Amino acid sequence: MVTPVVELRNVSKYFAKVIANKNVSFSVGEGEVVALLGENGAGKSTIMKILYGLYGADEGQILIRGEEKTIKSPKDAMTMGIAMIQQHFSLVPTHTVTENIILGNVHGKIALKKYDEKIKGLAEAYDFDIPVESKVGALAVGVQQKVEILKALYLETKILIMDEPTAVLTPQESEHLMGFIKDFAAKGNSVIFITHKLKEVMEVADRIVVMRDGVVAGNVLKNETNERELAKLMMGKELAPSEKIGVKDFSEAETLLELSRVSVVEKGETPLLEDVSFMLRAGEVFGIAGVSGNGQDAVCEVISGSRKLTSGDVLCCGQSINSYTIRERIDAGIGYVPVDRYRDGLVMDMTLAENMMLKSSFSKRWTKHGLLSRKVLNKYTSDIIRDHKVKAVGPEETAKSLSGGNQQKMVLAREIDVGQKVIIFNQPTRGLDMGAVDRIHRSIIGEKEKGKGILLISTELSEIFEMSDHIAVMYKGKIMGIFENGQLSTERIGLLMAGYTGETEASGNEK
Amino acid sequence: MKNNIKDVLIYNVGAVIVGLFISACMLFFLKVNPAEVFAEAFKKIVSDGYTTGEILVKATPLIFTALAFSFTYKANLFNIGAQGQFYAGSIVAVTLSLLLGGVVPTVPLIIILLIAVFIAGGAVGALIGLAKAKCNANEFLVSMMSTYVVAAIMDYLLRTVLRETKGEYLQTDPISKSAYLVNIIPGTRVHLGFIIAVVAAIGVWVLLYKTPLGFRIRAVGCNSNAAELSGIRSSKIYVIAFLISGGLAGIAGLTEVNGVQHMLLQNFNESIGSFGIGIAILANGNPIGVIFAALLFGFMNVMGTTMGRLPGLNIPSSIIDYIEGIVMICVIIAYFLRRYVNTRKDKKLLMKESEK
Repeated sequence: MVTPVVELRNVSKYFAKVIANKNVSFSVGEGEVVALLGENGAGKSTIMKILYGLYGADEGQILIRGEEKTIKSPKDAMTMGIAMIQQHFSLVPTHTVTENIILGNVHGKIALKKYDEKIKGLAEAYDFDIPVESKVGALAVGVQQKVEILKALYLETKILIMDEPTAVLTPQESEHLMGFIKDFAAKGNSVIFITHKLKEVMEVADRIVVMRDGVVAGNVLKNETNERELAKLMMGKELAPSEKIGVKDFSEAETLLELSRVSVVEKGETPLLEDVSFMLRAGEVFGIAGVSGNGQDAVCEVISGSRKLTSGDVLCCGQSINSYTIRERIDAGIGYVPVDRYRDGLVMDMTLAENMMLKSSFSKRWTKHGLLSRKVLNKYTSDIIRDHKVKAVGPEETAKSLSGGNQQKMVLAREIDVGQKVIIFNQPTRGLDMGAVDRIHRSIIGEKEKGKGILLISTELSEIFEMSDHIAVMYKGKIMGIFENGQLSTERIGLLMAGYTGETEASGNEK
Repeated sequence: MKNNIKDVLIYNVGAVIVGLFISACMLFFLKVNPAEVFAEAFKKIVSDGYTTGEILVKATPLIFTALAFSFTYKANLFNIGAQGQFYAGSIVAVTLSLLLGGVVPTVPLIIILLIAVFIAGGAVGALIGLAKAKCNANEFLVSMMSTYVVAAIMDYLLRTVLRETKGEYLQTDPISKSAYLVNIIPGTRVHLGFIIAVVAAIGVWVLLYKTPLGFRIRAVGCNSNAAELSGIRSSKIYVIAFLISGGLAGIAGLTEVNGVQHMLLQNFNESIGSFGIGIAILANGNPIGVIFAALLFGFMNVMGTTMGRLPGLNIPSSIIDYIEGIVMICVIIAYFLRRYVNTRKDKKLLMKESEK
């Protein structure tokens, strides 16, 4: 039997209140691509962080080429030929590509020119198009990822770990990445990549390790499995497909929200938004597709009121709300589920109950004689926990002790209550497991059916296609076109997302 | 939650004992027997009612300055300038007492003074808050430097308009007896100020945890982004938090001028601001905890003075500075120890559960 390059034996990791991994065992062979598949919070990232030396294992052994090793830090991991590309890149934006790559591995006086050449050669060898002398901060996310990969290659990595590498990429970029992974493995290297996207797994992996609730739920060869079986392993049950919505006629429906030629330009910078116009009507889900960072956040911000627009109008029920404060917009019935719930959605150190009153802290509904009524608030929160099937001990649990999906359910519940007219969902299911995604999708449909207007921003095309009545594609702060659902193929939308117009524009009916 | 409070108490009391023990050992360097000195000083404090009362007297202003720090701390702001806000309160207290003492009857006078010192300290605080809100100035530095500005103004006033009629020292005339905060325990110097302090601490607790405003302050403190997106203007909260914080520190001016010194003099109580910070940390920012932590510091303060007065031993009373320092360090270490132990406990529990 061939000795595997990496072998994990019964590795367990406990955090203060949760079991992150329990008796995780699997191995990776030379030249093998292993996909680590699982829902969020299944313990995929944790086990890889243990292998990379970021966390210490509480129990179990790690064997590298048959020898037991203790990996105390990423430095240790690197000397063993292990590199990990984190979900959030560890690059210095103000340094050049070369500087980033050689960081930590040079001493004394640096002959930058020499290194530039060296890195350029390395990039060419792998068919990467990277301007080595430019600052990393100026590069697109997809290119930054290549810099991370190049950094690993520079260290002569034999085992490459990638955490959700395609989350930030366009379909075309993802394809390129998949090609690289195959190439890299063909040279006798091993790749472990973490993902929750079944399609990628089937495309590139040799073997698939499925994780659920911190344990290995399955370890199968790609040739012997299919997407259906993997999904079942991932969730422990089969998922009922949510019904497809037919395109309705909205010509009679009331317009709840309208953006009219909205532009946002910060002094001396390229515009964040340029001439963005669209309408959102009662009972409609209006989807905005696009690679993240193309102005979607700015759209949310000009509607929610946290960003001032340079020109144009935002209208709610026909009335301009340009001069409204955030509080007035909340009172007008605009709910907003922000993309980053840690930063913008929840106060992690406060209780669930307190988080529920965050947006209505000025309302009298929580007070009795001017003092907060714990009873009223706790009752309200308990009801939400029950109705939305949130896994929480009770209303006085702190928000941070919940898992991501359950936190998101709490935010959603609050915003559904706030958004009596319009609810903005900015990537509401990002990073969530399929069970939670399903629940959230059902909630969105439920609100739509109540006649609210839903603005759905997502980078997941499947989500956009599944939920939306109309779809707009954003690229560099502009709307590339508005289409009825069903008019666009994945290929075309992919091209629009990458900024190509051409014949696709002609075939799309502007609304 | 109840367990948590018990934990905090156990660890903090333990830390204080360890701290006292370590500082006691340091007394060997002074060639005295620490056990004897401590016992002697302790006996003196307990047996002498006047000295026991001094603990409350010393604790009173500390409660206010510690509350001042705790309050902004909840909004994730640092008010290092309680000393200056205290001086602002003192100036107003002494000025109004000199003007109105004997003219206005005691009860309405004290109420007027209470409001006035709160406004005085609050105004200084609000200016710091405004600098933070409007110019994004670093409130830590601005508040720290504001102390020097107010101290300089106080010095100037003591040299000019407020100077005593004799013109001998840099101090004011004594205020009229009718402006005194009444003595509440005969035979000691304990005055009404202590009651006001305790009520203030409870009031701060209610404000922070039972009112929507307090909720908003804490929300901004924990996550200003989320608060802002929820329609809570953090800039407004900064000003309000600093105003109340400064006001609380200002009240210490009333308790010290009208309760203890009965006049204003140069370098008046110059370290209650910094002690307030330590006390607030010891109490973990909890307003009720502040009362007890301040009492502890009051006790240590009296202990130091008493030790310095023990005949024939020649112990410098400044010894208390290092005792308080060592106790402080022990409390901070205890905080981290407690967190570490709890994490391990949780882990062990999990391991056991998962075996089943």
